[in-house]
Amino acid sequence: MKRPLEWQIATVKAIKPETPKVKTFTLTLPNWMPHRAGQHYDVRLTAPDGYQAQRSYSIASEPERSGEIDITVERLEDGEVSSYLHDVLVPGDQIEARGPIGGYFVWEASMGGPLLLIAGGSGVVPLMAMIRHRAAAGSTIPTRLLDSSRTREDVIYWDELEKLRTAGAGLEVFHTLTRAQPPGWTGYSRRIDNQILSEVIKPLGKSPQTFICGPTLLVEAAANGLVQIGVKSSQVRTERFGPSGGTS
Amino acid sequence: MDDVENDMNRELMLDGNAVAGMLHDIFASEMTASPTECANCGNVSELGGLLAFTQAPGAVLRCPACENVMVRIVETPNAIYLDARGAVYLRLQRPKS
Repeated sequence: MKRPLEWQIATVKAIKPETPKVKTFTLTLPNWMPHRAGQHYDVRLTAPDGYQAQRSYSIASEPERSGEIDITVERLEDGEVSSYLHDVLVPGDQIEARGPIGGYFVWEASMGGPLLLIAGGSGVVPLMAMIRHRAAAGSTIPTRLLDSSRTREDVIYWDELEKLRTAGAGLEVFHTLTRAQPPGWTGYSRRIDNQILSEVIKPLGKSPQTFICGPTLLVEAAANGLVQIGVKSSQVRTERFGPSGGTS
Repeated sequence: MDDVENDMNRELMLDGNAVAGMLHDIFASEMTASPTECANCGNVSELGGLLAFTQAPGAVLRCPACENVMVRIVETPNAIYLDARGAVYLRLQRPKS
């Protein structure tokens, strides 16, 4: 694919809180083009004195939605870009963005499955783009999402995942809550380990297409664990997040 | 530098996807799915799968197998410096005609 990657002026169409620390921003793009699920946009802010800060944010929405994208952003304590997006930005504001970018951590329905998706915290965002694309494309490829969060209120996209899970199109969702669990919690309640991985992967066989996204330590634990239980490392693709104040 | 573990802060580690925009600036094409070979150990990996360290004046890409430094990129206001001596090759896809 040969094309210049131009900065464009995106307009904030809507802002939706997902969890206490996570918001989804819908951006309309004058030069929108369809992305591949898993790709990201670079976002750039420029201060009045010319100082610029730039970050990459995964696209959360499916490419079937044209003219706009959702990015879901966690507010980091020292994040100069994420704190601006969370605390200052209002609908109607404009920011610079360029994309879609990336060809490594992507999945399209035509690539088949089965599909194993493993997320830590806001690492679920590019995987959600895959899940939404899968639904929009009418795919019934067997897909399992293992999603690690600290507490129930930190789980991003809970309601939508429940809806998609119960729609009977072959998506199953497994949550693990690593810090605190609500009364009557029946999901996992510890960091992802080889036993969890074995249980979740079992019906998918030994070689599902696997995408892992989250903080580095979670990504390493999950990727190494999968190889230990016999998954070929060539089947596993990873995307690491920067420091987010500890792992989920 | 005598201990690789001390040399690398794994908490700050990202991967090649994090510099996809920078690579696109240099090569004018999507590079993260492009294969490259480590000059130290011969491991072949896609650029998106390399280990990336970006919390510095430049970006450093390391081999995921042996952690050898493969690519360094530094941007200044007027230029981009690319040091890829740790990679045997980079592969650029020809545009489909």
